[in-house]
Amino acid sequence: MTAAAEVYAPTLGALSALTGKATHYCAGCEHGTLTRLIAKAIDELGIRERTVMVSSVGCSVLAHEYLNVDAVQAPHGRAPAVMAGIKRVRPDLVTFAVQGDGDAVSIGLLELLNAANRGEPITVFLVNNAIYGMTGGQMAPTTPSGMVTTTTPAGRDPVATGPPIDATKLVASFERPAYVKRVFLPIRPTPAARVYNARGALEGARSVRHAFEVQERGGFAFVEFVSTCSVNWKLGILDAKRYAAEALEPLFPAGLVRDRFGVEGR
Amino acid sequence: MKRETIVAGHGGQGILEFANWLAYFHLRQGRHVAYTPSYGPETRGGKVKCYVVASDEPIDSPIVEEPDLLIAMNIPAMDWVPRLKPGGTLLVNSSLVRDGPDRTDVAVDRVPAAELASALARYVPEGGRDPSIAANSVMLGAVFAASHEDRERARTAVKAVFRHFLTDRKAAYIPLNLHAVDAGFELIAGPPVPA
Amino acid sequence: MTEERAFLKGNEALAYGALRTGLNAYFAYPITPSSEIPETLAAEWGRPEYPAFKVFLQAASELEAISMVIGAAATGAKAMTATSGPGFSLKQEGLSYAAGMELPMLVVDVNRAGPGLGNLGPEQTDYFQATRGGGHGGYPTVVLAPASVPEMASFPALGFDLAFRYRTPVVLLADAFLGQLKEDLSFPDVPAPTYDVSWAATGARGDERHVLSSLNLELMDQSRHSHHLLDKRLRIAEQEPRAEEVDTDDAEVVLVAYGICARLARRAVRLLRSRSVRAGLFRPITLAPFPARRLRGLLEAGRRKFLVVELNAGQMVEDVRLAVEGGAEVRSVGEMGGLLPSSLDLVRAGEAMAR
Repeated sequence: MTAAAEVYAPTLGALSALTGKATHYCAGCEHGTLTRLIAKAIDELGIRERTVMVSSVGCSVLAHEYLNVDAVQAPHGRAPAVMAGIKRVRPDLVTFAVQGDGDAVSIGLLELLNAANRGEPITVFLVNNAIYGMTGGQMAPTTPSGMVTTTTPAGRDPVATGPPIDATKLVASFERPAYVKRVFLPIRPTPAARVYNARGALEGARSVRHAFEVQERGGFAFVEFVSTCSVNWKLGILDAKRYAAEALEPLFPAGLVRDRFGVEGR
Repeated sequence: MKRETIVAGHGGQGILEFANWLAYFHLRQGRHVAYTPSYGPETRGGKVKCYVVASDEPIDSPIVEEPDLLIAMNIPAMDWVPRLKPGGTLLVNSSLVRDGPDRTDVAVDRVPAAELASALARYVPEGGRDPSIAANSVMLGAVFAASHEDRERARTAVKAVFRHFLTDRKAAYIPLNLHAVDAGFELIAGPPVPA
Repeated sequence: MTEERAFLKGNEALAYGALRTGLNAYFAYPITPSSEIPETLAAEWGRPEYPAFKVFLQAASELEAISMVIGAAATGAKAMTATSGPGFSLKQEGLSYAAGMELPMLVVDVNRAGPGLGNLGPEQTDYFQATRGGGHGGYPTVVLAPASVPEMASFPALGFDLAFRYRTPVVLLADAFLGQLKEDLSFPDVPAPTYDVSWAATGARGDERHVLSSLNLELMDQSRHSHHLLDKRLRIAEQEPRAEEVDTDDAEVVLVAYGICARLARRAVRLLRSRSVRAGLFRPITLAPFPARRLRGLLEAGRRKFLVVELNAGQMVEDVRLAVEGGAEVRSVGEMGGLLPSSLDLVRAGEAMAR
């Protein structure tokens, strides 16, 4: 079995951390991929019955419909604070949130950075698709300069709105976070048609698992997943993958920034 | 019994502390008490005023509008004199306030609080602060006497007051403050009558 | 009064009251005139007297603090935060979500003068914001109004009791005066109650999940949920209104006041009676649900004049008018800006009404 098959094979079988409900995510969206990677890690680690996910606001707002775990809704941007509240009173639980770029890097930047600074033992998965997806394609804090959105019809002007924010770098600027990583999640279309490189998903699977392991060891874990939003980028699915590789990857390069507990080396 | 008091002075005189002591003294006597601080934005040199209500019955309003007792620790505090209840008592800190009130329907006692406290240098712990910091305890003793508190009961209660508030490093100042209370009491009521 | 009595500021008493009723978690953001609450709790955190008090944490903002309360409350913990007006505005976000998710929690507002930054003196200008469900979406909160330091100490227990029995956020609406006022009090020796928290999100048990969400994208789902919240509000309104009455039996003028104003009104009632005006006091203890039926009962018993005393431009007076439905004369008197009405103000208003 190839490495890719290892990740995708479980789609054929049931994961106990998935409800089995079909997701509302658009075709080609990495949210669906990440949902599965999270379920897989929860199953592998055997933590389902002590996991409480915190639902953020954005495209992942319905993630509790798909992940078969307990869940609490956070106000927009406040997921890290809600997780801190859970974890402080119940350190035995495992808590995580899937946040979008608007949720974590705009309206919730204070909550994200302060949780990071305190080193809360929580896990934040940031889906950075450079746009507000749920609300219909407005400029996000991570939107590249020049990108057309519904609120930057002439393209994002960095003079007026600032350049895109690098959340991974911000989180890593604090001393306490134990695991900080950025993963390029989309498949990479190759010149040969219908051949795709799914290394991002493989890396994503490992990173999700590591991010939970780090929390279990008392550390703040943050993984940013560079993703696509073909619908709001107004591109075809494969064109969106190409655009992500061309326009987002140079801005948000993948890589392990910090691994204090050495979970990746094991 | 119900007694409504206004304590007024400026920051740094220990007005809030004094009012706390007075309220807690009444509490130790088994009375209901209400203490309301009110102060300006400055921590020093500002106007400071406190209400202390003590009563055998539950207290309705903690706000003192017509005090039975006014303790004027500085000149601006004399602005409260017109509010004093007819037949009430005014205790003036004569260390700072020279003039008397322009009222004849109230009892007035002048207390040279700082001078009396300064005479108690021998009770200051070694390397400690100037004894004049006990001026407010002198005034406290004067208040007890002017309020016709029983000397011995007041002394017992005020010991408990100081033990409650003067803890840790401040505990070394309890003897100074107790003597200051005695000095204030004696000023108004005279020396204790030998048994 | 033989037992050892405590002598505490209202804010301190509130903190100890919360500890004695088994507070598990406090999330702080400092704001005058409420800061003695977190300061007291920070000092007591970790002491063996309060083994249930597991978490004290200072947040980076009011929003972060209330969101932490949401997280802790979602696990079934007794969680609390306190603030004053400017922060209470920010708390509304979390209160709306908590109401939607039916989370029990205690949020304290030590009302200061406003709007905007205002000043640090007492006002009751947050009445509307507290009693109307000040955030978005329309939701019930229970609002308790202590009027003394002993009540500042005992209302956290009452608040958590209502919060857990009905699964609702409870607001304790105090004011700067009550926060800073010191009075004698004693703490009743009652064990901290425990509540059924089988709904809490502490991990799925097999297929039994606990999903606490305020999201209902299907219209029928949201409608059902809103009706459920309404039913709860009506149940609380039926069973939980509380009020205190003084000398209302023969009163020709009934003063209506809560919080520190109830104390002023109590004195005014005494003074009015000494001047041959038969005055009484009606003090709402729950501002929401407003004790409307009881007030209506006074009307039916022949009380025809109500003088509302509050530290705002007239907010609770609207609830009084709603309660009497035009059946009585209702007037309003008060002060703003951190000032209090004098006894003379109240006596004059009472006399004018009695005439």
